[in-house]
Amino acid sequence: MTKKSNRRDFVKRSAAATAGLFVFPSIVRPSALGLGGKLPPSDRIVIGSIGVGSQGMSNMRDFLELKNAVQFVAVCDIDSDRQLRAKEVVDKANNNKDCRMYGDFREFLEKEKLDAVSLAIPDHWHGIVYTETINKKVAVYGEKPISRTIKDGQTIVAAAKKNNTLWQTGSWQRSLPNFHRGAELAINGRAGKIKYIEVGLPDGGRGVGTPPVQEVPAAINWDMWLGPAPKVPYRGTCHYQWRWILDYSGGQLTDWTGHHVDIANWGAGLEYTNPVEVSGIGVYPAEGLYDVPVEYDILCKYANGIEMRVANSSRLKLGMGTTWHGDLGWIHTDRGDVLSASDPKILEEVIGENEIHLYKSENHWQNFVDCVRSGKPTIAPIEPAFNAVVVALLGEIAMTTGQVVKWDPENKEIINNPRATRLTDRPYRKPWALPTI
Amino acid sequence: MKKQYSIFLITALLALLFSSCQKGDVYKTLIITGQGEHNWEYSSPVLKQILDGSGMFSAEILTAPAKGGDMSAFNPKFSKYKLVVLDYSGDSWSDATKAAFVEYVKNGGGVVVYHASCSAFPEWKEFNEMTGLGGFNGRDESAGPFVYVSRDGQVVVDDTTKGAAGTVAERNDFEVRTLNTEHPITKGLPVRWIQASDEMLGNLRGPGQNMEILATNSPRMQFRRSEAGAPGAGAPRVRPAPPRFEPVLMAIKYGNGRIFNTLLGHADEGGGPAMQSVGFIATLQRGAEWAATGAVTQQVPYDFPTAAGPVLRPEFIPVTLDKAFEEIGSYDITKSTMYYTFIKSQIAKAGENEEALLDIEKKMVNVLKNPEATAEAKKLLLRELSWMGTDYCVQAIKDLSSDPELAESVEFALTRLQKVN
Repeated sequence: MTKKSNRRDFVKRSAAATAGLFVFPSIVRPSALGLGGKLPPSDRIVIGSIGVGSQGMSNMRDFLELKNAVQFVAVCDIDSDRQLRAKEVVDKANNNKDCRMYGDFREFLEKEKLDAVSLAIPDHWHGIVYTETINKKVAVYGEKPISRTIKDGQTIVAAAKKNNTLWQTGSWQRSLPNFHRGAELAINGRAGKIKYIEVGLPDGGRGVGTPPVQEVPAAINWDMWLGPAPKVPYRGTCHYQWRWILDYSGGQLTDWTGHHVDIANWGAGLEYTNPVEVSGIGVYPAEGLYDVPVEYDILCKYANGIEMRVANSSRLKLGMGTTWHGDLGWIHTDRGDVLSASDPKILEEVIGENEIHLYKSENHWQNFVDCVRSGKPTIAPIEPAFNAVVVALLGEIAMTTGQVVKWDPENKEIINNPRATRLTDRPYRKPWALPTI
Repeated sequence: MKKQYSIFLITALLALLFSSCQKGDVYKTLIITGQGEHNWEYSSPVLKQILDGSGMFSAEILTAPAKGGDMSAFNPKFSKYKLVVLDYSGDSWSDATKAAFVEYVKNGGGVVVYHASCSAFPEWKEFNEMTGLGGFNGRDESAGPFVYVSRDGQVVVDDTTKGAAGTVAERNDFEVRTLNTEHPITKGLPVRWIQASDEMLGNLRGPGQNMEILATNSPRMQFRRSEAGAPGAGAPRVRPAPPRFEPVLMAIKYGNGRIFNTLLGHADEGGGPAMQSVGFIATLQRGAEWAATGAVTQQVPYDFPTAAGPVLRPEFIPVTLDKAFEEIGSYDITKSTMYYTFIKSQIAKAGENEEALLDIEKKMVNVLKNPEATAEAKKLLLRELSWMGTDYCVQAIKDLSSDPELAESVEFALTRLQKVN
């Protein structure tokens, strides 16, 4: 999280570059661009946000920085204070007081007529809200990880396929040059044939012990926040901290596979498959409310022989990020514009015309907007995002059961292991249920 | 009374038989204490309890003459023991005793140097070679270089800086980083863990030969203890970046002998949490086994601390499955989650061992059937049974469905169990 400023700086830089582009094409009739070189409001994408916490607001600001690309019209959150905070930002951007606020996503989806929805909600809600949003046939910008369970993820992916949804995952590292370049070098064999990939994700952090039951803050609809998860009393851990509790998240492991494992898969041609075998050890806190693994070390084997180790970064020599090891060397990439290799010459390599050129985006949010307009696929479609989190979810099952989990990537199911299979799904608390596709 | 006594004897004998059958050899161990700045009267019996508690050691405590006393008659028979533990920092030993100790180690004897004992004997060259690093008692550059670890994990030997060796930081929870994950003592440990309220020693000097630094502190991540009961308390208080990561666990080879030097486990007047810290206890047990045998057969305990926070064993003993199931029945959400975590760890440990899994399942079902057990306890166990249970548990779960407090958890468990049953 501390390196986030890098992303912001990048976004600012590339937004400036994009703004420059709007001025440049003199062959376009000025009328098409509207006054002052801006797109007319009618061309803006009408968008709303479900979940306006830290990540939801961050995404909203990233979209608003694109200047007249989107028009937010509604926000939805179970926290009325957050609704107000988001409305303030939206109203300021729109120079009016019209932003509508909702506490229930069902009402939001029912009443609002939108081109696109931006989703940033706790993982245990993804199965329901992502699927319902997709069913409304809007374009979706959805945060990673795709789902809390494999079953939820399969449902969301199936819904997106059926509705032919224009989807972009919040895996914005894909739109940064060092990750793109690293993946492109790797997939074109500049480190040789890839044999082994190492992925470092954050260590778990400090717990909160065993906090007492507290009064729910007036602004928060706690029962709605819990939704399909088991009913528990409020103990002061809600926004943001849900990621340290297994009912809602798998911790850093599931949170970050959507970034660095996603990049690893991108550069190794594994975007559209899964491991066939996953084993792993997890180190769990012995004490306290937070129960996600604080350390983890997972080994995935793919059908083509590639092995991928995913571990908390303190266990790995190169720490955070993705390292592709081929038979000629290695290529490493991480946040903070990190791109290194066993031999610096690898980084000078030119990718030839007939080689693989990975999808290029210079601004993740602009890419979404462009694709909503053009109907072309985004840089971060839903299936690769699901296949990234499958690594973490299978790893979680391996750690929980203490078993080597065998997976069938074709049929997307665990092979011959009823206990592990049960862990691919979580029954929902009534009245909530996974929507039908 | 007599009858009770004989039952006690039989039980003790059986326990001894059982533990020796289970664990193999029990290593004779000598704990030397009797002098030092610290509360050795508290720490030495605790060291014995911890070592004996592993089932691998049988320790006796030898108290040296008091400070200023006649040391000439202090002449332990080191060679009778597989392991010598030093909880001692005081008057020098006689030349004969020193020579016997050196001989013992050279011949393959094992030594554990506990906490401040590395400050003992500044004048004794061989002892300082055995501890690798030490401090205090007038040590300076003549004792050897400062040895520490840089931010990027490299061992730094500073033989140019002059000055006194040994500093003591304010008592605090601090983070330990496992630097060497391949050494038998530290293999399989978390790479970051919190030691509770310990006295952090630093700026040590010494010859540092044949020494492996196994773990260091992580001075960037020192913690204040959280205020009791305050949610969110205990957030890291980031301090100014310090220059170095100081060694806290070291393994040294000397002749054919092995020395484990642990700086952890401070004992203050009332004892205190540092010795109760599982990080201290488990590394002491593992270090002692390595010093005695050159290998470590003990498994990393489930309650080994993590970066999430310190973990204490108030009685110094690990939880057993029976104890966990005895305690879990009275769980409510204000209580420790340790017994639940332990049960989960044992399920994962059982892996594909159906017999072990069924044993755990039966114990869970006993709690479900127990009217005295709390609803909160049953909810926890229903979550585990929901995925790992067999037909054995189904009726017991169904029987709970009329309890409105449990209805949701029962449905959760039965729905999940039905999936592939």
